Amino acid sequence: MARNMITMKKSFSILLSLLFLLPTSLIAQTNNQDFMRSIGKMYVVYGVIIVIFIVLIIFLIYLDRRLTKLENQIQDK
Amino acid sequence: MIRFCLSNLKPRKFIFMRKYWWKILGVILIIYSFTLGLLVPLKPGISSIDPGSMRTASSYQMEIVGYNTFYTRAQDAVRVWLKYDSIHALAASKTRVVNDRSLVADFDIPKYLPTNDRVGVVSVIVDDDYNGFSVVPSTVFITQDSVDKDIVAGSSAWKQGRIGNIHSKDQFNFPFRVQLSETIRNLYFHVPFWFSMFIIFIAGITQSIGYLSTNKLEYDYKSMSFTLVGTVFGIIGLCTGMIWAKDTWGTYWSWQEVKMNMTAIALLIYLSYFILRHSFDDDERRARISAVFSIFAFAAMIALLYVVPRMVSSLHPGSGGNPALGADDLDNSMRLVFYPAIIGWTLLGVWMASLIYRMQVLRDKLYDY
Repeated sequence: MARNMITMKKSFSILLSLLFLLPTSLIAQTNNQDFMRSIGKMYVVYGVIIVIFIVLIIFLIYLDRRLTKLENQIQDK
Repeated sequence: MIRFCLSNLKPRKFIFMRKYWWKILGVILIIYSFTLGLLVPLKPGISSIDPGSMRTASSYQMEIVGYNTFYTRAQDAVRVWLKYDSIHALAASKTRVVNDRSLVADFDIPKYLPTNDRVGVVSVIVDDDYNGFSVVPSTVFITQDSVDKDIVAGSSAWKQGRIGNIHSKDQFNFPFRVQLSETIRNLYFHVPFWFSMFIIFIAGITQSIGYLSTNKLEYDYKSMSFTLVGTVFGIIGLCTGMIWAKDTWGTYWSWQEVKMNMTAIALLIYLSYFILRHSFDDDERRARISAVFSIFAFAAMIALLYVVPRMVSSLHPGSGGNPALGADDLDNSMRLVFYPAIIGWTLLGVWMASLIYRMQVLRDKLYDY
């Protein structure tokens, strides 16, 4: 069990380091100091779109929680 | 009989179109704005010019780096000019295409400038039949060191290179701006939220007035739902603007930028509206006070977002007087995506508000039993 945990931790750390390495390798490819400003600053547009979706999803989570509360109240009645 | 035939003609399954057409329209418009906003290429433009300063009576090899350009596909030679003013220009003696995105132009700068000034600023114009023309305004500085300045000789030397026979590229493209480049597309993902927020807040305030004149609680619920969605849209606008600001102005939050700070204050006022609502147990009291508060919040928002930024200079386009979009900032091709995006996000906002309103009505029914 303990060994399992260790291997899980190891694989998780490898995954994490890969995630952090990914952007740096991309920067090396585009030969640019700033990842966001490479390829005509297109990544800024992507970032903006991601922000829109994050806020809309937070709104959905809020709606979901309020609906769950309402459902629980109906069940209690 | 006719009525019977007509009712038979309408298939039962399309009845939802009559009720939900605006939701479908909103989603279609948003998908349209995302597709066109991301896929339409920018006009060919020039991203950098080297050298940026020259001296009179010497030769230079100017390296021009284009953006979205295909210089190798040009049938005729690519022509480059240094434009001094409306009558004075200097043509490149020779141009050489290195690849699709880079170009070398040879210039023999005359001994004199057509002016007595020590330093003249010229614009660079590049033109060919495939990419059309592109202009980089006031970019190269030319210094004349000679003591004996000769305007007549300078004027005649600079009149040799007449700019003529300019090609324009007639394709559906978004304009290219050096400072913005691809982020010009953020116009469809940042600005529509402010327009939609304003429309939705107006809808909310009409419901508030409706509550004050009828004392029906449903108006209060509608007003609250609209205000909540408007605030969410305001937060989206602020967050997207921060990311755009980081790469255009260099910082996420600029305390000198009046529009940003005023918007934050207006959103804080609207957030306090929800805190105010939570502090009442009595429905009638809460509805009345929050209706009055939302009217005051709207008046404050008008002042903060639409009056104050017009009185001081701002980093936003068209600063100093008019912080909104002027005629220079919006190309016709951009209008074709920008206005549908506003309508689409407004309809989606109304949809979101209707969900909250329906939930609120259900809750009300639950407590009535």
